[in-house]
Amino acid sequence: MSQQERERRVHAVLQAARRLSDPRDPLGIEARRALPGATGLSGASVELSLVRHLETSVTSDDLGKLVTRAGSAPRVHVVLSANVFTGVVRAVALAVAAAPSVMVRPSSREAVLAPLLLRAITELGKEARFELIPTLEPAPGDHVHVYGRRETIAAIRVGCPADVTVRGHGPGFGIAVVDGATSEAALLAESLSWDIVPFDQRGCLSPRLAFVEGSRDDAERFASRLAVELDQREKEVPRGALSEEERRDRSLYRRTLQAVGQCHDGVASTVGLDLDPRAMFLPPTGRHLHVVRVASADEMERLLVPYRGAITCIGVTEKSSLAARFATLLPGARILPIGNMQRPPLDGPVDLREMV
Amino acid sequence: MNRDREERAELHARVRAFIDASEKGETPAESFDALGLAIARHQAEHVPAYRRLVAHRNEHPRDAASVRQLPAVPTDAFRLTRIAAHPPSDDAALFRTSGTMSGTPGEHALSTTATYQAAALAWGRWALFFDAPAAMTAIALTPPRAHPLGNSSLHFMIQLFATEFARAVRYLQPWPDRLVDAAEFVEACATASRAAEPVIVMGASFAFVQVLDALGDERLALPEGSRIMHTGGFKGRSREVAPDELLSRMATTFAIPESAVVGEYGMTELSSQLYEGTLRAARGLPAPSARHGVFVAPPWLHVVAVDADKLRPVSEGEIGILRFEDLANVDSALVVQTADRGRCRGSTVELLGRLAGAPPRGCSLAVEELMGRP
Repeated sequence: MSQQERERRVHAVLQAARRLSDPRDPLGIEARRALPGATGLSGASVELSLVRHLETSVTSDDLGKLVTRAGSAPRVHVVLSANVFTGVVRAVALAVAAAPSVMVRPSSREAVLAPLLLRAITELGKEARFELIPTLEPAPGDHVHVYGRRETIAAIRVGCPADVTVRGHGPGFGIAVVDGATSEAALLAESLSWDIVPFDQRGCLSPRLAFVEGSRDDAERFASRLAVELDQREKEVPRGALSEEERRDRSLYRRTLQAVGQCHDGVASTVGLDLDPRAMFLPPTGRHLHVVRVASADEMERLLVPYRGAITCIGVTEKSSLAARFATLLPGARILPIGNMQRPPLDGPVDLREMV
Repeated sequence: MNRDREERAELHARVRAFIDASEKGETPAESFDALGLAIARHQAEHVPAYRRLVAHRNEHPRDAASVRQLPAVPTDAFRLTRIAAHPPSDDAALFRTSGTMSGTPGEHALSTTATYQAAALAWGRWALFFDAPAAMTAIALTPPRAHPLGNSSLHFMIQLFATEFARAVRYLQPWPDRLVDAAEFVEACATASRAAEPVIVMGASFAFVQVLDALGDERLALPEGSRIMHTGGFKGRSREVAPDELLSRMATTFAIPESAVVGEYGMTELSSQLYEGTLRAARGLPAPSARHGVFVAPPWLHVVAVDADKLRPVSEGEIGILRFEDLANVDSALVVQTADRGRCRGSTVELLGRLAGAPPRGCSLAVEELMGRP
């Protein structure tokens, strides 16, 4: 395929995605009806995801990068994960940019959006059609893009013939870095809450940790403000149901922070604050953020050591002086503005760690 | 400071008296709740983390009528902050977790090891050494305590057992690429067998898996009366093996009855342990359970399953996550909350695995995945 042809196929996918994003389009209506049950997210959360996080456009610069990063293969097989349902658009866009023939295996838990996207592409008469498959049967030379847990990726890698290229997009999480002395703490807290809410924090870009570089007062102010903002978000975009495992971990996280530092228990969310961190605590998914105060970037770096390979993105402010440092420390992580951590440019896979 | 030390020392002495009386089958001079609440009041005053917890929850021990009403400290707190009623300068021991879950080990500081030892020896005698063989050889799949890896409570306990109950002990040092050298292990078993004395082999379950994998079909018949004590999960340090399979392979390889393979359940954050009652029951001694996978707690350790949302006790026999009320934890946290699932009946705990059918967390990361644990 030529570069132009690859780009045209990506545009076709995005044009189809616009139909799913549109609440008046029959396919958009169908998506809104089926997705809450399939994902466990609330209706408002599904709506937010379809309108704000489903990718429907791309700049030419980003498109060029996406096509380059997609690589080239005779066939691409895509194995989708559940929960972050909007990921299907980027996954299919990457696949159709790489190969003329694309097979997609939806998650057994969320098998809604991929078929709808296929219908949209087909009804638009576009060339970027793909095939929905129940089982994976790659042939020599094919590429397999796997989204999901490490065990899933490892199992598929083992099961594929040696001359099949498996590209795994595994789990991860995001962190946010806030300058405690900022005069915009309230605004940042609001912006960060909008990064936490989508997909009930189950996305690989979802922030789970935040560093406040500054005084204890700065950290306390930011944490309490964030708790207020998350409570406000709960009124606008209610959280869906938590699994028993998530509920257990939430209880334990809250109790731990009540002992270790401060715990702001919201209606559905929790903001934990550790003012004297000895180590980091990765809180459970389901809208919980662990905030730590650090006195310096060096301390932050020390605390992040055990998590380095797991961080997919870093939310920073525009004026952050730390972006360059993170680019060196975590070369695979995306550096994104707080408030847009869940809206990375469509320039390749969401998770760029394997590209490093 | 001296008054604090005296109060702590007195509490330790009272707990050891409780353990001693329990082991002798006597009624302790004070009840579990009376002693537990005294310890909790001490901790609410002297352990900053516990003071914060009871203040946040407005659940002070002085207002509680029983230990069951006290808030528990989750095990993760031991990783994030120091949980101790005494300053680091008074540490007599500092046990560390493996740190496999998070990269940062949890720490359990003791101002004295006397109470830990009393608890470990008393319940070890109950489950493993009740027949007190006159001469016994111990093989420890752990380094001795002086080793850099020897700061775990398990290593301390194994060394304690070896010192107390065995005529001779062989510690098998970990190698850079493996926990135990199989040839060294074979040689240790052969030497012990030549002495024709019962042998106790002690170690973590993952160390046994590595040894058994290395041995393959080889048999190392141990003398009559021999036994095995193993503990813990696999922590990503060996392949996962189903409990039944591990049990069967241990019994077959060492030519001992399955009842002589005794599982221990303990954790760094506790000072007391639980055991399977299989060996006792096989010898006709009373035991609340004779089943593998069901662990028996000593009288100074109460275990209760709690619900996932409020951490409140569920009815006996219902599944919940396990809360431990350990009188021997004088220096740290009397009540410890774990994430482990289980079912409690009387003094027994049936350990259960991960939540069945727990949905994946999407592509966000679970701590277990982060550290490569299943």
